[in-house]
Amino acid sequence: MKERFRALDPRLLGVMLALIALGTLTLYSAGRHTPQAGIWLKQSVWNLLGLSLMLVLASVDPRRVFRFSFPAYLLGLVALAAVLVAGHRIGGARRWFVIAGQTFQPSELMKWVTLLYVSYRLGTRSPEAVGRLEVLGLAGLVAFPMLLVLKQPDLGMALSFLPILLLIPLVKGFDWRWALLLVVGVSAAGMFGWKHVLKPYQKQRVMIFLDPSSDLQGKGYQVNQSRIAIGAGGLFGKGFTSGSQAQLNFLPVKTTDFAFSVYAEEHGFLGVILALGLFGLLLSRVLDAAARARTSAEAYFCVGAAAIFAMHLMVNVGMVAGALPNKGMVLPFFSAGGSSALSFFLALGLVMGVLQRSRVP
Amino acid sequence: MEPRQRLLFLRRLGAFRAAVWGLVLALVAIYAWLQIIRHAEFQEIAREQAVKVRAIPAPRGLILDRNGYRLVDNRRALHLVIQREDLPTKPAVVAELAAALQMDPAALARKIQVYRAAGKGLPLVLKENMDEADIAMAERIRARFPFLSMEVAPRRVYLGGELAGHVLGYVGEVGEAQLKAHPDRYHLGEIIGKDGYEASGNDRLEGVDGKKRILVDQMGREVASFGQVDPIPGHTVYLTLDAGLQKVLEDSFQGQSGAGVVLDLRDGGVLAMYSSPSYDPNLFLDRLSQAVVDRYLRNPERPMLNRAIQGIYAPGSTFKPLIAIAALEKGVITPQTVIYCAGHKNFYGRNFRCDKPTGHGPLDLVQAIAQSCDVYFYTVASMLDIDDIYAAAKKYGLTVPTGIDLPHEKTSRIPSRAWKAKADPKDPRWYAGETISVGIGQGAVGLTPIALARFYAMLATKGKLLTPHLFLGLRDDKTGALELAPPPPVRDTGLDPRIWSVLDQGLYEVVHSGTAASVAMKDVTMVGKTGTAQVAAFVDKAHYEREAKNLKDNALFAGYAPREHPQIAFAVVVENAGFGADSAAPIAKKLVHYWCVDRLQHPLPPPQGPAADPFGSPAEAPADGSPGGTP
Repeated sequence: MKERFRALDPRLLGVMLALIALGTLTLYSAGRHTPQAGIWLKQSVWNLLGLSLMLVLASVDPRRVFRFSFPAYLLGLVALAAVLVAGHRIGGARRWFVIAGQTFQPSELMKWVTLLYVSYRLGTRSPEAVGRLEVLGLAGLVAFPMLLVLKQPDLGMALSFLPILLLIPLVKGFDWRWALLLVVGVSAAGMFGWKHVLKPYQKQRVMIFLDPSSDLQGKGYQVNQSRIAIGAGGLFGKGFTSGSQAQLNFLPVKTTDFAFSVYAEEHGFLGVILALGLFGLLLSRVLDAAARARTSAEAYFCVGAAAIFAMHLMVNVGMVAGALPNKGMVLPFFSAGGSSALSFFLALGLVMGVLQRSRVP
Repeated sequence: MEPRQRLLFLRRLGAFRAAVWGLVLALVAIYAWLQIIRHAEFQEIAREQAVKVRAIPAPRGLILDRNGYRLVDNRRALHLVIQREDLPTKPAVVAELAAALQMDPAALARKIQVYRAAGKGLPLVLKENMDEADIAMAERIRARFPFLSMEVAPRRVYLGGELAGHVLGYVGEVGEAQLKAHPDRYHLGEIIGKDGYEASGNDRLEGVDGKKRILVDQMGREVASFGQVDPIPGHTVYLTLDAGLQKVLEDSFQGQSGAGVVLDLRDGGVLAMYSSPSYDPNLFLDRLSQAVVDRYLRNPERPMLNRAIQGIYAPGSTFKPLIAIAALEKGVITPQTVIYCAGHKNFYGRNFRCDKPTGHGPLDLVQAIAQSCDVYFYTVASMLDIDDIYAAAKKYGLTVPTGIDLPHEKTSRIPSRAWKAKADPKDPRWYAGETISVGIGQGAVGLTPIALARFYAMLATKGKLLTPHLFLGLRDDKTGALELAPPPPVRDTGLDPRIWSVLDQGLYEVVHSGTAASVAMKDVTMVGKTGTAQVAAFVDKAHYEREAKNLKDNALFAGYAPREHPQIAFAVVVENAGFGADSAAPIAKKLVHYWCVDRLQHPLPPPQGPAADPFGSPAEAPADGSPGGTP
């Protein structure tokens, strides 16, 4: 057991525990006097479970984990296909399995499995050996589960697969021609998607993002109230459990997507600096792991993990401030949710395993 | 990884690390912009949407009769309202709401428009005094119209129903015209007295609304309140009315139209005032429900008219004492002047008939009054000029309103040369023949019952001209005691005591041996004068003409009692009832007997103590319509 605890990186663990503390306090405050009053406790159970799994995974040699990446990837695809057919439907979307009364979202874990497999594929050959066809193949490995997630539909989750593609320029270098191709490709896909794939509600979200004042009582309402909450927080914040926007329910979905607004209102700009600083340190430490990794696959995984975390950070924290469209992407450690929490902890467990076995401790 | 590739990887990793910190800094910058630079702006928006100011309506003062019986009480009522900041803007929503509440969409839209345009004021009341079914309905439609809220407010209850409808009046929302005329005095949605004493005593009865700041949640529900300024309830007012006497008066009319007034000779206080048909003020309380009001307004019997102060009736023979005073004061007759009545007499080529076709024979003034001989008074009138009569009427207070503290009092009509010139520009000359009719209270002369009562009060007090009034005093809310208000001024007319004693004798003979001998009482000496007059056309003219054939004369009786130590003066008019002694005098008899005998022999139980709750007592109004507190 002692061995196992030694597997945990104290710096990464410290930052994580600090963020967990902030997130738990926020959920306590957000749930007060609502039917979700116990949500902080429930999330704490998930967090403890996640920490335990992290402990287990951190003590396992990452190379052994990578060995399971291909079967895990296949299993993930099957799960995503299955959830489309037999998943539990909430609000028109099939995203969840119900296991023992708990909803479980396979896509949360699948993005990490995809990263794991792509890192493994990339890491087992030298960069020169990775040809254009191979790159397209890798992109396909990411695109396939992404499309299945998009079909649920879950645009936010699908987008959180994108950071995995960052590994390609990391390995092959930044190429203007590729960048141009990507821009053209994304634009074309975007136009196609707007016409044929995006659901009306998604189009509406984009439109409202472009002009939030167009729909203050409807979809724009959420972001508008969130901005009011954040702005009203000021430098020092309204104080723990004292944010009027949060406590009087002006803030919508405040235990999940808008949990960070509750935090920003009650703890102010200083609190925001603290939280964002902790996230910066977290990402920084994950990148340390990438730099020190023994194998390329481990390094790539860590970079991809940092990219996925950064994506969540950017989209959620930016969205609640009205700087990015309201897409429904959770914020690690703050937003309530079991599947996402477990997935984040497992990913960080692997990162810790990498750090433990790195050449520079 | 080869060292060269590793170096490349580390360099790219460094760029990524920089990008990550760049992202963090960009997010910090966004939050700095929202939380530091735009903080004040968002702070204000957050405060505005969470903190609302709500008025706490002050209960109006209760209205009690002179003995403390509650005539007007308050109840807690639940209203369906829209707070001013929540008024819906979309026409479709307004139309849908009107349909849900079964209201006229145009009226509702207009109302919302008015409330939105007003700078300040109370919430818009959609439905008043909701019962359980209404509350269930409101809860149901609130899902669709989240801007609806419910508010507790005090509401008037007129315990006697029709008992004193005209005297008390009713309350309602301040009208647009009034609001425009006094924008600083009234505010939108304010409840003020609209008629009767509720209107004239509004400043005493109306309290001062309080206010509070409340914290509302996203649904507009009150979460907490702070900074409360308590409302100041209106004063509890004692009226001069005596509920028992008022009840006797109300019951006496039995479906006949007319009016009755009883004055307290000590100070001119109105002990009873009733106008038949009456109305129930409780029916006028609902805003936006015009149907009831319309039904009353369109009724040809004109129940909204307070006949006691607005009905102008030919006084008939009840006017004869004034003619006598005019003639005695001018010296054209003495009390001993005897005039022979042959049943009719010719003046200016026209034959004027007496009530008694066979004639009364020779009569002096006392006998003429007792027998109500018309020929006697024709003759006296022929000796007078119309302006002599006007001068006497003016001296004894008949040419001006009595000054009673009720709105819309009409002035009695006393003809004079000047009046004729103004009233009939085509034929402005006064003819001497017209004076003859005025001599028996017919023709152009018309008196309100209150003016007639006041004139007989003047006779009863040997010449004191009282000011009829309803306001007796305020209740000291600490002790519950009545604080009497000083009575309004009394004017001494300087009536010659000799003239008075002749009239007193004549009016005594009316009830003792004359036209109203049938109503004489063993235990009380009532004095008074009967009157029978042709119907004056103050009612709807078309209606009058249609019904003219069916209309009998109006019956009047005015007088005072008891003769020895007069306490009350009264005037009773019963429309289309025929001879005054048959219908009006018995009502007067009941009033006098109640006041002088029954009231003292069978006193009412003491009234209930003052209500501890400023909203009034929770008890229901007595079902029998009797005033509050009476058994």
